[in-house]
Amino acid sequence: MKKATSTGVKPILLVEDEKELANEIKIELERLGYLVRMASIAEAADAARVGDPAMMIMDRMVFGEDSLNTLEALRKEGVKVPVLVISALSSIDERVRGLKAGGDDYLAKPFAMMEFVARVEALMRRLDDVRTTKLRVGDLEMDLIEQTVHRGDTKIDLLPREFKLLEYFLRHPGQVITRAMLLEEVWQYHFSLETNVVDVHISNLRKKIDARGVPSLIVNIRGAGFMLSANA
Amino acid sequence: MLEFFRSSAVRVALAFVFVTTVATTAVFGLVYLQIREANGARNRLILEDEAAKSVNQSIDELRYAFKVRMTHDLRRLDYAALFGADRKILFGNIDVLPAIPLDGKSHYVTASRVPGGDNRLEPAIFVARARPDGTILLLGRSMLESLAFRRIVVSALATGLAPMLLLALAIGAFFARRATQRLTTIHDTIALIMKGDTHLRLPVRPRNDTIDKISRDVNLMLDEIMRLLVQIKGVSDNIAHDLRSPLAVVHAQLERGLESPDDDELRAVARQALTHIDKAMLTISALLRLADVEYGPKSSKFRSIDLSAICTDLFEFYEPLATSKSIHMSLETQSPVQILGDGDLMREAVSNLIGNAIKFTPENGTVSVSVTRENGRPIVRVRDNGIGVEPGERDKIFQRFYRTVSGHRVPGSGLGLSIASAIANLHDFDLRFDDNDPGAVFEMAGRRK
Repeated sequence: MKKATSTGVKPILLVEDEKELANEIKIELERLGYLVRMASIAEAADAARVGDPAMMIMDRMVFGEDSLNTLEALRKEGVKVPVLVISALSSIDERVRGLKAGGDDYLAKPFAMMEFVARVEALMRRLDDVRTTKLRVGDLEMDLIEQTVHRGDTKIDLLPREFKLLEYFLRHPGQVITRAMLLEEVWQYHFSLETNVVDVHISNLRKKIDARGVPSLIVNIRGAGFMLSANA
Repeated sequence: MLEFFRSSAVRVALAFVFVTTVATTAVFGLVYLQIREANGARNRLILEDEAAKSVNQSIDELRYAFKVRMTHDLRRLDYAALFGADRKILFGNIDVLPAIPLDGKSHYVTASRVPGGDNRLEPAIFVARARPDGTILLLGRSMLESLAFRRIVVSALATGLAPMLLLALAIGAFFARRATQRLTTIHDTIALIMKGDTHLRLPVRPRNDTIDKISRDVNLMLDEIMRLLVQIKGVSDNIAHDLRSPLAVVHAQLERGLESPDDDELRAVARQALTHIDKAMLTISALLRLADVEYGPKSSKFRSIDLSAICTDLFEFYEPLATSKSIHMSLETQSPVQILGDGDLMREAVSNLIGNAIKFTPENGTVSVSVTRENGRPIVRVRDNGIGVEPGERDKIFQRFYRTVSGHRVPGSGLGLSIASAIANLHDFDLRFDDNDPGAVFEMAGRRK
């Protein structure tokens, strides 16, 4: 663990030259209880080197400069702070370039604030790459080595894709997970869909993992996506 | 003036003048050398031959022969003399023995005294030979004639070359000027077109030379660009319209909400407004996506991908959705069907087709996906027995924002098939519609190479 700064709370650094968007982002994240600091790309890089920020949100193009170059340099120096790249460049090639340069996630503009917040939360609560072999929420347990799932004493048979889907939820308990995140992470589909296929998959998964008479472990979050309720 | 010399036509003209000069000079030079060589060589042989014959003649015979020789030599080009062993002249028309070896071979002497007393000096060839009685025979021939001839050649070159140079320059300048004038016209026209006079075209004459051909091509290109511009204008009108509708609705809703005294009402209205804005953002994202595929650089990520694997993957992805609508979905694949392409894009294209098929097929219908290779062409077919496409609409469904009359109420951006079609095109595939009677077949087939 890195040492916390004197205030005890590490800020989220926001590198974004579109003032109005930056403001909205700041207000929304502060509403959720995060400390947000606007920074230029150079300030952000300096702060990241001393391990100050909790994470960085970088616009791909800031004042005409490609911030990926700075990000790449930081990663080469071994800076590990989570980075979310937001960009008006939406093609898959650009996305791949963003991730290759060291971005942990890449979100194309225009995005819904819900989607954005979900990405930020996912990165903020990312587990420090602990090689867990078992994931558990309530009495639902997944064994990653055996590739088995149990609810209490009952073994649950899942198709391979359902297993991956549940694993993603179990790795992000209590977090809002959007349809786009599931498409990208579980199916590796990097395009938007006009149908509600993901909902059908979730509903099928629910039928398998939920116990009779108790509320579902995976709840719908209106207008955003889903959440595996952590305190079940 | 500098401009003039910089034009390529002028440079061609100057090069033409230069080449002509070199060629002419070379021809004259060759003539000059040939004359000199032919004249000299022939005279030398004759002299050597005569000298050899005269060695054994008696002195009297020689004296007679010389006399005859000089009588016939009206132009005074011949030299003949006999010298004693002491190199004093005995008789003949030249009184000093030139400084050449007495070997019977011809030698070129640049300046010898002319016979006849005046002190002119001329070039000549001499043969000297020692006779058995100790006397020395000298025969020679003046090269004055040959020299004069060579002088004529040189002066002809000098007097001929200058007018020819001027003529070539004049002709070159004339053509250069004409070409420059035409190029200037073309240049000015292009400048005007760039300034916005898009109806202007480059002049084309019936003569049909290279410049005319290029002008014609440029004109065709301008026509095509104008056609595309009009088309793009149509598309942007569509975009504007498609975005204005939801924005107008949002505007009205927010106004209504703000005027309402009820907070819950405002909240409800704001929520509705969000839905419409989401729809507009979906449209914008789809448009950007389409632009990426259509105008972006051809993906550098093209590699060998398996269409069978992609379709199997998508089949498994969509089957639960089909099942939830009680649609029977089937998949038919052979062994791997490898093509060169971008897996992410192909997945998106096929996903659009399958998603559409499920969207436009009612409950208890069927959707089938097949991947085959027919006559070497890779083909993906997505077949359904849903509402299909009316005959009058079949050529419009690939246009941006086109929504069929019957499918208008099904949600969507109206860009899915445009994107699929653009992706197919990027992969040298054709995406086409066929009637399934009832329903639709969308066939994406690799073009014949």
